[in-house]
Amino acid sequence: MAETITITIDDEDIDVEEGANVLKAALEAGICIPNLCYLPELKPTGACRVCIVELEQNGRTSMTASCTLEAKDGMVIHAHSERVLKVRQNIVEMLVAEAPESDVLQTLAERLEVDDIRYPERDNDCVLCGRCVAACKEVAGTGVKGFIGRGTDRAIGFPFHRDDLCQKCYECRDRCPIDIAPSSRRDPCGVCGSELSKNNELIPEICEDCELG
Amino acid sequence: MPKLSSSSALDTLREAKTRQRLQHETVIVLCSGTACSACGCLPVLNALTEELENKGLSDKVELRATGCHGFCEQGPLMVIQPGDVFYCRIAPEDVAEIVSETIEKKNIVDRLLYVEPKTGMRIEHETDIPFYKAQERSVLGRNKLVSPKEIGDYIAVGGYSSLARVLGSLDQDAVIEMVKSSGLRGRGGGGFPTGIKWQLCKDVEPTPKYIVCNADEGDPGAYMDRSLLEGNPHMVLEGMLIGAYAIGASEGFIYVRHEYPLAVEHTKIAIDQAREAGLLGEDIMGSGFGFDVKICKGAGAFVCGEETGLIAAIEGRVSEPVTRPPYPVERGLWGQPTLINNVETLANVPIVIDKGAEGYASVGTEGSKGTKIFSLVGKVNNTGLVEVPMGITLREIIFDIGGGIQNGKRFKAVQTGGPSGGCLPEGLLDLEVDFDELTKAGSMMGSGGMVVMNERTCMVDVAKYFLTFLQDESCGNCVPCRIGISRMLEIVTDISEGNGTMEQISLLEETAEATSLASLCGLGKTAANPPLSTLKYFREEYQAHIEEKRCPAGVCRALITYSIIEDKCDGCMLCKKACPTQAVSGEKKALHVIDQDKCDRCGICMDVCKQDAVAVV
Repeated sequence: MAETITITIDDEDIDVEEGANVLKAALEAGICIPNLCYLPELKPTGACRVCIVELEQNGRTSMTASCTLEAKDGMVIHAHSERVLKVRQNIVEMLVAEAPESDVLQTLAERLEVDDIRYPERDNDCVLCGRCVAACKEVAGTGVKGFIGRGTDRAIGFPFHRDDLCQKCYECRDRCPIDIAPSSRRDPCGVCGSELSKNNELIPEICEDCELG
Repeated sequence: MPKLSSSSALDTLREAKTRQRLQHETVIVLCSGTACSACGCLPVLNALTEELENKGLSDKVELRATGCHGFCEQGPLMVIQPGDVFYCRIAPEDVAEIVSETIEKKNIVDRLLYVEPKTGMRIEHETDIPFYKAQERSVLGRNKLVSPKEIGDYIAVGGYSSLARVLGSLDQDAVIEMVKSSGLRGRGGGGFPTGIKWQLCKDVEPTPKYIVCNADEGDPGAYMDRSLLEGNPHMVLEGMLIGAYAIGASEGFIYVRHEYPLAVEHTKIAIDQAREAGLLGEDIMGSGFGFDVKICKGAGAFVCGEETGLIAAIEGRVSEPVTRPPYPVERGLWGQPTLINNVETLANVPIVIDKGAEGYASVGTEGSKGTKIFSLVGKVNNTGLVEVPMGITLREIIFDIGGGIQNGKRFKAVQTGGPSGGCLPEGLLDLEVDFDELTKAGSMMGSGGMVVMNERTCMVDVAKYFLTFLQDESCGNCVPCRIGISRMLEIVTDISEGNGTMEQISLLEETAEATSLASLCGLGKTAANPPLSTLKYFREEYQAHIEEKRCPAGVCRALITYSIIEDKCDGCMLCKKACPTQAVSGEKKALHVIDQDKCDRCGICMDVCKQDAVAVV
């Protein structure tokens, strides 16, 4: 059994197992860190960076995704600092501009008070969060879905054109956060789907009713 | 070669090899690095071999084909010892004269000497050439002393004695302590203290541990690691052996680019020879320590040079960086502790042991010790590889060693640190070059690229160029890097085409901040440097593009027009013949005119005009 340790998120002390996933721990403790590519049943990849936090270490702070951050005793994390919020807003703004039709991204933008999308729209739909790829490999166990290409050419597909190996189990579709299949919606924002933080000052009006607030 | 069973056997071999080398009256050191090969050194080498044989001089003269000397601008080049005679731009036709005059009669062949561009003087000795004078070539300089294919050469000049000392008299902690107090920092880009990295890897418990030499040099125009592996592979191997001993690894990998065939070949030969000599394998020199190395050829992407990307590539997976921590020193190759050091870092290790920590640390600045090899390229007179002590100024590198700007043009900026480095302006020429100063100035050391730019370089265009490179090389996994870079490029492209707005500048800055703070790996974290540093130092150039729709350097095609100056044009027809779009009209000895509708703004007319009669606005 892993040792129980204490980490601090937004001035809140939380007891977790050493090496635990910081995002998961925060959500379970009722501290909402918005996220997109993360799902508890999948191995985190840190792709979307929506769940970034500031990590205070040896007197210096650095930014990192909380879903790929392993808890270590005494860790001090800021999930809603001014800097984090600004960068997170910018990331969500980029995401919305990639897939402006997505309800989930619009909701995320609304919660983070991103009202102005300054980038030209791209109409990509998919934002390559990778949930489907991970689900295909880790849940379905087939691994036929994958990423193809590099950089801006990156796309989801069937590497080596082996779509014949797809079992049509829809584990991938069920996890897509973009509004392609309406039944597949999963909330990208924390446990209750509304609150952003335990810290009152950081909560936007939309979260007024949240009991955690 | 017999297996070396002890360090005294190494000493004996060194004495024998040294005696063997001294038997030759004269040594011709011919640079056979990749750049000189491209300039035609191989026909020169063949001609020399034949000429020496024909004249019966093969026993008296050692013909040493070595790795890169650094002065690539002047290749093919050679140094004749004793006498330190330096000949450059040699053709096979010159060989007979070199042998009959310089080798046999000890006369100098004047026309093959280097001409100093500032004074027009011919310089006889290599050590008197300004390019070499201000350098401190403690690592790269050793290329000249050895044939990369001969382990005997390396041993003769003291090679593997640092290893022998380590195995014979130092324990792991003592080695690490030495590297730590030498102040050696990683030369691959990050500048992380090498000794601390070794300590971290030694301190973790799981075994086996691995050591990896990162030779996936991907920065455009950078070739110092290539030149070290090609020219002195045993030095890198020795560094790896010492590192492996220090952390307790018994297996290592050299991850080298597929595009470096000569480096691969020479490293292969070096590994075979080291195995034969018992310097790789079990019980090295009777110490009980065993270690072996495999070569892993690169998978072809820039991002493979990133530590975690490199691990994925060696394991046979798609090279996509993953989050650190855990760092490779804790969980690396196949989940095991892995020490990854760059080629140049490892090449410095035998020197640290040889000179001692204090001796090594006597060169350099407070926070950066030793020397650094830079690839000095761009609009500078002497392009090539230069090795200088940390703390030297940019001005000394560019003007003393580099000989200033080509064609008497004006210096504008120098881009350091590879594609994700920054552009530094004239006002920072007296900046003392080391890891910390470059970072403070908004650039970075990177692996040591240095691109010099003149007044005809547009800084918006430069930012666009590097962002295009980074966009292509991003693995595409994380949002800030994949989308952030493409958005930055989109904005910079708008500006360069005259469609930019001042609001876009603040969006560019915001995107740059998000990309650098939130990206997963070093590629994204540093990708904002090109736009940010050019904005910091050349903001007025962005403003000119946006507000006046003008490219002050005359580069951005959408914003410039070429025209012919009436007073200067002598109707020579050179531009007319050269124009790829037939946009120039005009009769012989009469004024030429450019048809703006047909003109593609390529600037070839300006390049070919001998009268300076083409203007760009």
